[in-house]
Amino acid sequence: MTCNDRERIFEDGTPAEWAALEAHAAGCPVCAEELRAWRLLSIAAQELRDYSESPALWTRIERVLAVETAAKPQLAERRRWFTFLPGIPLGWQTALAGALVLVLTISAGWIYLRRPVREGGTDKSLLKSAALKEVETAQAAYVQAIDKLAAEAKPELENSSTPLLANYHEKLLVLDSAIADLREQAGTNPSNAQLRYQLLAMYQEKQRTLEEVLEAKQQ
Amino acid sequence: MGTMGLALPWEARITSAPRERGTRVEPFQHFSGGTSPAAREATNEDATLAAACQSGDLRAYERLYVLHGARMKNLARNLLGSPVDAEDAVQETFLKIQRSVASFRGQSSFVTWTYRILINTCYDARRSRLRKKEIANDDSGEDPRPEPRAPGAHPSLRMALERALAALTRHQRDVFLLYEVEGFRHAQIAGMLEITETASKNTLFQAKKNLRQMLEPPRSSGAEAR
Repeated sequence: MTCNDRERIFEDGTPAEWAALEAHAAGCPVCAEELRAWRLLSIAAQELRDYSESPALWTRIERVLAVETAAKPQLAERRRWFTFLPGIPLGWQTALAGALVLVLTISAGWIYLRRPVREGGTDKSLLKSAALKEVETAQAAYVQAIDKLAAEAKPELENSSTPLLANYHEKLLVLDSAIADLREQAGTNPSNAQLRYQLLAMYQEKQRTLEEVLEAKQQ
Repeated sequence: MGTMGLALPWEARITSAPRERGTRVEPFQHFSGGTSPAAREATNEDATLAAACQSGDLRAYERLYVLHGARMKNLARNLLGSPVDAEDAVQETFLKIQRSVASFRGQSSFVTWTYRILINTCYDARRSRLRKKEIANDDSGEDPRPEPRAPGAHPSLRMALERALAALTRHQRDVFLLYEVEGFRHAQIAGMLEITETASKNTLFQAKKNLRQMLEPPRSSGAEAR
């Protein structure tokens, strides 16, 4: 036993080695001091020991555990749907999952390849950009013409002298509101031909109503 | 490593009671391991406790608390520096045990597994506290000053030790607290921290060396002469 063995014994010494170190320290002041200081650390560590009671802590824990226990059956019920494979070994479960993925991939491929090919390759309900431009130009001209008609009928409608004119006025307000909605939808989805047809129908109805108002004025 | 202003004249602070070998004071005899009849009984109790907890018996959790609650709280208190946070961590640990006890397969002892959860919970709490501090732009340092607790025999030594422990690495602090304060064996600590037994011994040695350096008053250069 020499002073050089001291640190190794501190790290991982057997009881016999500790005894040998103590015997050595009896005649070696440096090792005696090191040994004493090393042990004092263990004594100092006791200062960090505080096993005082916390009377309320178990009550708190118990309450939380009880709540969790009560919630478990509901959770288990939800999980029951996912536990239909409990008796099957993990290897078979993996194989089953792989087979399922394979079937899904093949099905998706088959559906993709067998999908009906539309004439022209595109959906007719969607307008292509050139056609869309044409529709928008025609619509603008139509709207302009109806606005002229509306301007002509406006004085009559604002001073609705008969119940018939008042009805026409209300109908036009409803039509304007519907037109505004459809225009908004057509703005977000300009290629939708269905929306354009609905919008056209509304304009036509407005045109007819305005014509009736002007006819009533002439009579 | 410097002394960080924590230097203590050892003999003035501590009554140097004669001690046996280089071993620490064992705080608990439960789960001390080994092949003695008491150790075998402890192992059986551990398995019984695990089975009872797995069956959902709340009394088993109460038994676990009676056996380890105080030690768990003390460890959490030393890791978090606050008795309130320590109690929260212990409560959270019991909840986590209950939630995941079904997955306990007995690779380690039930108690070792329990303490592993506690240690992880404490570090989660520390991280969460740090994040909150960062958000609040509080830059008062990573380790909070420990809150006061029941006075011991050497309060100044305890404070110095707490400050020195805060300067250690996480693993060194964990191993020192588990071995020297809580009285676990290296085999148990290895299981709790998921390291080898040799690593646990080496980490403890480094921790004690560092602590000694920080706590000891500067010595004259000729004192090391063999």
